[in-house]
Amino acid sequence: MTRTNLDILINGERHQILIEPHWTLLHVLRNVVGMMGTKENCLEAECGVCTVLLDGKSVNSCILLAGQVAGRSVTTIEGIGNPEHLHPLQAAFIECGAVQCGYCIPGMILTAKSFLDENPGRRRSRDEIREAIAGTLCRCTGYRKIVDAVALAAERMSVAGANP
Amino acid sequence: MTFDLHRPATISEAVGLSTRLAPAARYIAGGTDLVIQINRKKVFPDHLIDLGQLPGLAGVAETADGYSLGSLTTYRSIELHPAFQGNLSGVIEAARVVGGHQVRNVATVGGNIVNASPAADFVPALLVLDAELEIAGPAGNRIVALRDFVVGPGRTVLGPAEIVTSIRFARLPDRSATAFLKEGRRKAMEISVVCVAACLTLDESGSSCASARLAVGAAAPKAMRPQQAEAYLLNRQPGRVSFAEAGRLAAESSAPISDVRASAAHRRHLVAVMVERALTACHQRILEQGR
Repeated sequence: MTRTNLDILINGERHQILIEPHWTLLHVLRNVVGMMGTKENCLEAECGVCTVLLDGKSVNSCILLAGQVAGRSVTTIEGIGNPEHLHPLQAAFIECGAVQCGYCIPGMILTAKSFLDENPGRRRSRDEIREAIAGTLCRCTGYRKIVDAVALAAERMSVAGANP
Repeated sequence: MTFDLHRPATISEAVGLSTRLAPAARYIAGGTDLVIQINRKKVFPDHLIDLGQLPGLAGVAETADGYSLGSLTTYRSIELHPAFQGNLSGVIEAARVVGGHQVRNVATVGGNIVNASPAADFVPALLVLDAELEIAGPAGNRIVALRDFVVGPGRTVLGPAEIVTSIRFARLPDRSATAFLKEGRRKAMEISVVCVAACLTLDESGSSCASARLAVGAAAPKAMRPQQAEAYLLNRQPGRVSFAEAGRLAAESSAPISDVRASAAHRRHLVAVMVERALTACHQRILEQGR
């Protein structure tokens, strides 16, 4: 086993990390960089709590080898808004009461962001939203309010025209 | 449990690495299946050769007579591609049932084909287009028809160190449509109990089937083309009677198993119903084009 150097952008900041070849991106984010917003659960791309953005697109970090994403840009929930300036999705989740235990919410917000960013400024039907979040499970089963929140954020982002 | 990860920059470098490190090496593309298999300790490669850096293997290109999908093209990019919005909509319907968005942003078309799962959703959609695979390897390039490529569950004709580089298929003639249907135990994130693809072309009068191609997944050791059903439809009037009979013939030629997902009898029943529905959808789509 050879340790190799991983050069990667995480939330806009360049990191150089010594990795073992079998480490996943999830392992690097939580256990090396110490960002705990990205959650760990099924480790088989079934539940979506480990979702991060890879060059803007939602991916399951639990089954991506860290070495596969060398040189690319990763965004975690820590890189989306902050308490003073929430992302519209975060604001909508709070307003709609879409957060119950909260464990799925980082993945849910990033899954939704990737989907909404595919067609910035477009309003989305509830069916489209439900299909888009199919890979992210909420075991509190609070899907109705989650869909409400994504729809509200999509509406606001389409009015704003630009996607923050 | 670990391995070395290699990231070649060209196809010939990848083929060279694989030849040198065989048989302890595996290619990895999206890795959405392979990494899970490694984590479950089902496979133990000493070397992984990451194809993700290879130039020119991702994306959809229009060719003189049709389309070429790079083998590293992701499902999500196929779903969003304008080329498949028209009479190739069956391609989109098949791409959108593979996992969730997160998997479809990473999983590749080539990976799904090479895995050779009998339940691979995208394979039937390509079989009805008579797709061909372009393969690069130590002895140069070759082309293999998709229907000859998969031999059985998990087995293909791929030789040592060979890489599928692209999937090609021809544009459809006028008065054609495609459709793809999947039945699982739930609507999303599911392995198919049965999936069916159809590609129908009508003659100029619109009252006779000029060509009918059908493919059924998860109802035999590999995705199959029910030839009797296809032959039956030729020159027949499209409609409920002929589509139902084609479904019956397709079910007859299927060879499903009973497993945790469904019984063989239920699968055979689904083949008949879904073939009829897929043909009806194609017919409806052709009629809508004429309006």
